[in-house]
Amino acid sequence: MARTVQAEPSRPQPAAGRYNAQAVRREERLVTAAVYTFLVLVSLPLAVGYGWLLLNSFSTELAHGVWPSGFTTRHWRFLFEPPSPYYPDLWRTTWNTLWLAVGMTITMVAVSTPTAYVLSRMKFRGRNAFLALTLVLHAFPGITLLIATYYVLRWLGLLNSIPGVFLVKAALMLPLGIWVMKGFYDGISWDVEMSALVDGASRIQTWYKVMLPQVLPGIASISIFSFIYGWSEYIYVITFIQDKNAWTLSSYINAIVGDFRFLDYGLLSATALFYIAPVLLFFIFTQKYLMRVTIGGTKGGS
Amino acid sequence: MSRSQKVALFVLFLPALIITVVFYVIPAVLTAAMSFTDMDFRLRWNFVGFATFARMFEDFLLPRILQNTIVYTFLTLAFFNVGLAVLLALVTSYVPERVGRVFQALWLLPRFTPPIVYGIIWMWILDPTRAGLLNGLLALTGARPVNWMTDYPMATIVVTNGIIGASFGMVIFYSAIKSIPRDYQWAALADGATWPQQVRYITLPLIRWPLLFVTAYQTLSLLTSYEYILIITGGGPYFATTVWSLYAYNMAFGGYFANYEFGYGAALSIVLVILGTVASIVYWRVFRFREMMAEPKIEVM
Amino acid sequence: MARIRLHRLTKSFGTVQAVKGVDLEIEDGELLALLGPSGCGKTTILLMLAGIYRPTSGDIFFDDQRVNDVPPKGRGVGLVFQSYALYPHMTVYDNIAFPLRLRKVSREEMDRRVREVARIAQIEELLQRKPSQLSGGQQQRVALCRALVKEPDLLLLDEPLSNLDARLRIETRTEIKRLQRQLGITTILVTHDQVEAMTMADRVAVMRAGLIEQLSTPIELYERPANLFVASFIGDPPMNLLPMEYRPDGGKPQLVNSHLSVSLPEAARAGLEQSSSNAVVLGVRPEDIRLVPEPVDGMPAGEVFMLEPLGRDTLVDVRVGQQPIRVLVPGGTEIRPGTRVWLQWDWDRQHLFDARTEARLGVNADAGRPAAAG
Repeated sequence: MARTVQAEPSRPQPAAGRYNAQAVRREERLVTAAVYTFLVLVSLPLAVGYGWLLLNSFSTELAHGVWPSGFTTRHWRFLFEPPSPYYPDLWRTTWNTLWLAVGMTITMVAVSTPTAYVLSRMKFRGRNAFLALTLVLHAFPGITLLIATYYVLRWLGLLNSIPGVFLVKAALMLPLGIWVMKGFYDGISWDVEMSALVDGASRIQTWYKVMLPQVLPGIASISIFSFIYGWSEYIYVITFIQDKNAWTLSSYINAIVGDFRFLDYGLLSATALFYIAPVLLFFIFTQKYLMRVTIGGTKGGS
Repeated sequence: MSRSQKVALFVLFLPALIITVVFYVIPAVLTAAMSFTDMDFRLRWNFVGFATFARMFEDFLLPRILQNTIVYTFLTLAFFNVGLAVLLALVTSYVPERVGRVFQALWLLPRFTPPIVYGIIWMWILDPTRAGLLNGLLALTGARPVNWMTDYPMATIVVTNGIIGASFGMVIFYSAIKSIPRDYQWAALADGATWPQQVRYITLPLIRWPLLFVTAYQTLSLLTSYEYILIITGGGPYFATTVWSLYAYNMAFGGYFANYEFGYGAALSIVLVILGTVASIVYWRVFRFREMMAEPKIEVM
Repeated sequence: MARIRLHRLTKSFGTVQAVKGVDLEIEDGELLALLGPSGCGKTTILLMLAGIYRPTSGDIFFDDQRVNDVPPKGRGVGLVFQSYALYPHMTVYDNIAFPLRLRKVSREEMDRRVREVARIAQIEELLQRKPSQLSGGQQQRVALCRALVKEPDLLLLDEPLSNLDARLRIETRTEIKRLQRQLGITTILVTHDQVEAMTMADRVAVMRAGLIEQLSTPIELYERPANLFVASFIGDPPMNLLPMEYRPDGGKPQLVNSHLSVSLPEAARAGLEQSSSNAVVLGVRPEDIRLVPEPVDGMPAGEVFMLEPLGRDTLVDVRVGQQPIRVLVPGGTEIRPGTRVWLQWDWDRQHLFDARTEARLGVNADAGRPAAAG
């Protein structure tokens, strides 16, 4: 903002107040105030909700539901002893969760990346058909296929196993992964690829040595949300995994909710925080890579 | 096609093909097949023709469930997935970019929170005793605690799902708004428009396509969502919040029945798919999506 | 109609200073051009005048009233963008009517003013079309109408001709100038094209790196550029600039470099002595040099290297030693590459600059007058 002294405020002004700053500035300030008020009010519940996880897991009680009355770590004893004998070992469960997340990520990346290349850069009969198929398949939501998937997993012997879950989940997320990666491939100019082919590389070599390095951002994006979704998976885990040794933290907490829901909010919030903390941190640090994928379109008329 | 191309095609494409077929196509076909049987958890089945579908007409719960589904989808779509999403996108693009990104991160959080944890947070907020947030605050005014989930079940599922759903639209609309060429905003400023006027005359008309796309896409998503409803209200009280997809799930795997009635569940799922397809076609026509498909609409920055 | 004054105006974006201190006064009804290469700050000044950018320091006065804090809405400024920025979803009519719509002008009044301005710009038949259905020239006229319909005190044009093809450019620049004269609106034009600036503006401010190098009429810029930058920027084909050393002793003043030497009359000494060192730059325009077949005393000789026929003229590249000097000769010349020629020019058509400070040295007809400041 200019700090110089107002040069000629006392001179008679043509058509008094012709260039009127006041009214317009006031209007602008009003709008800004309204915007911020709205934003804060609407986001407050969210902030409070997540803050509670943190607060309550370390408090003896929350007065009026909000204010912590005392500090305690007793809610965290589940780290050392299970809440009841019928629970599996916490750390094994955590390991399973990690395995699920990683398995999901690897599958997604390993399958989407080459497939998207084929769909983006190669011409073959059935290309359009497959692209359309992926869109159509997306209309078949998980729920519809759940039952039949149970059947298939059982037939494959993959029920009650982590790989069973992450294969299914990855299959369902595949359309998204393929479209995202395809978007990245589409953005690379043809020249680079053509010169590789002219230099004598085979198609696979071209993909591996030339194209792949250029779509690393896409791979990063997919890896991030695959990992997060894998870590957070609920429905497939509780539906397909009954064996306690194969439980993930999702099932673990589900059981805690079932057993302790109205009894021990402290335990509930502590276990929830334990579950959510890794993925939360992961999300915060990788947020800008996630935002790289967008859907454009501003042409209203043309 | 050259040999190297054929090899590449084979090697690179095969994994996707296998996975898609095994875990997508086969289940889809199986589901269709199952709906004509009376399969249960023993996975033994008898072909019963259209009996499962006929059963739907006699199911006294279904009309209520259909109504729930339509009401839920409409309310969540209008108020949150599209309505709130637009508002959030507008305000986060108005404030300085860093502030906007912080708020967007906050609103994206629910989407990336494990569902069970999200459920726990809401269970606490809506707890019918003083220990819960809303009732705890209510106690400050001396009022008696309210059992939010049983007294306002539809509102509960609309709000809880809506807060998650809004972030999808918010991200898409935000990037659409940000890609409006700066010159238009400056021209509007020079023409004398305040920000609300800019929004009404310039911004909103120019994000018409993303708006329509999100509406159509989220309709489908809402029709098939049941995870959070399952966790938070379980479909209750007494089916007040059971939507079609949840009913199908419960029929097959749990809920009040634990019947493992796969056949009926499959049939219900098929109907859902038909519903979804019809909705898609209607949207396609009404919104004239063919015009939009002319240009590639997934851009990467 | 407004008189505009910029006082020590600066604008920084973070650590980058786009405008470093600009003083400028524009008369009511004048058409002034801000001319300079991209990045010199001219568009930034334009946007500050419109109120879209706030000055980092310094003041802007419209008719002696300080308007730094007045947002665009309150300034009465019409702005035409290089891209025209016509709202794609509105018809031409709605585009032009938009500023009036925002001010809640009555329907009849709005209609009258839109049609009036469309008539002046001769686009009445296009009112119901959408921008995507118009040609570049038509779009520009619509953008102009939108700026003019609110009867602004100041009209700002950002590179108005750069998106038009060559022929359209010539028509349009006459159009704009005619319109401006007719309406008498104070206008500021931003461009990187010196032809655009010279042909349209009453005065031109040549800018570089956030500062004004010279503010004069077009002719003045051409005849008396204040420094090396202005000299090389104005004029097409560009001025020949030869780095030389001033030898003051032995009779007449001499300019020498490894390729050629030039003798100057005694009257030039006063100006040359003002230079901070003996390194000077000699500037002479291609159109001011003549090629003669016989030696001329004190003037350089060279060999024709290449010819570029331009139709009406031919640009001849003459090599003096290794130094290329370009000369503009009438079109149907008989000269051929390899011919030996002598160059001749009137010493009062040449320009001399201090090589270190780049400032003009008051020589030839300026002798006795202070050097034109930048």
